[in-house]
Amino acid sequence: MKVLTGKWSFYINGALLSAMIVLCLYLFQDTVGMNDGMIQISEYAQETATQVSDSEEIALPPLEWQTGFLGGILIGALAASLMSGNWKIRFFQDDKSGIISKSLKTILYGVGGGFFVMLGLQLAGDSFLGQWSAALQLSGGAWIFLISCFAVASGVAILLENRGESGGDK
Amino acid sequence: MLEGNYRLAVAIFIGIFCGFLLVKSDLAWRKTCLNMFLLKDGRLLKTLLFSLGFGVALVYLLQHLEVITLHVRPGYFWASLIGGALSGLGLAFCFRVPITALAAIGAGRLYALWSLVGMFLAVSLVGAVSDLLSASIYSWSRPLDAPQQPINFFDEGNPALWIILLSIIALTFIHFTFRGEAEE
Repeated sequence: MKVLTGKWSFYINGALLSAMIVLCLYLFQDTVGMNDGMIQISEYAQETATQVSDSEEIALPPLEWQTGFLGGILIGALAASLMSGNWKIRFFQDDKSGIISKSLKTILYGVGGGFFVMLGLQLAGDSFLGQWSAALQLSGGAWIFLISCFAVASGVAILLENRGESGGDK
Repeated sequence: MLEGNYRLAVAIFIGIFCGFLLVKSDLAWRKTCLNMFLLKDGRLLKTLLFSLGFGVALVYLLQHLEVITLHVRPGYFWASLIGGALSGLGLAFCFRVPITALAAIGAGRLYALWSLVGMFLAVSLVGAVSDLLSASIYSWSRPLDAPQQPINFFDEGNPALWIILLSIIALTFIHFTFRGEAEE
């Protein structure tokens, strides 16, 4: 049972990640990224947020393979964290300072960071998994994306850490 | 190729496996991603490098055996470069991409919901300014060439061979120089 409760080695994780992408290419005959699924869910969220009256009907996002895959991730992560004893409810990304400060930091860093991550992914044309899959298929655009993404992320994270801003929470 | 309900069922099953893998590999945790970008923890870097090297070899082999066909969206130089830089900037603050945000929520880290809110806002913004983007960033350069795989694997112009070699060298270097830190 240790395989379900313990951590997996880097070579098992790496091999399984690649094998999963290749399996998706084989089974779905489609780009592997979850971009279309995220766009469908986002449109649903946008329509719900701008809903004028309760009587207005909003169609749920179509249950296609990409939205199904995204739903599966939630279930898989829940199962894995329960099995390994890592599941815990956390509302704040950082537990150092006062409630107002950590709430603001959680919201600002979460919304701002998520906004820029997705903005970049939309500009580049696919989700992160899609860029990873394209990189395995030797797409030049995906390699440019990944190199620039990791270089900027590492540079900015180091700058923030030196200012003592990036947290270091769990 | 799978169709209809079988396609959906298999996608959900693979999604469950992916969520499991994201937690087991520590990719779902903010702390381990932070340590990877700070170059303090080599475990995630090794996972990603191994995935790249192994995946490139696997795709090359299976494509030549005609088991799989390549499926890649067209890339544009400036869009990829600027997109990568923007995503990197965002990653330095929230340390999540869409699938890892979902996995974190599944594991009870509800604060990752804010990252999803930001992501949905970005999708809406890009949808609203798509005409402007088509007239600017996507017209600055022509689409990049579609990926091509040389027939001879040991051809020195084969990018797959170089990526595998560089991955092995980087993996060896990281394995013997970086220490692993306690994960979440």
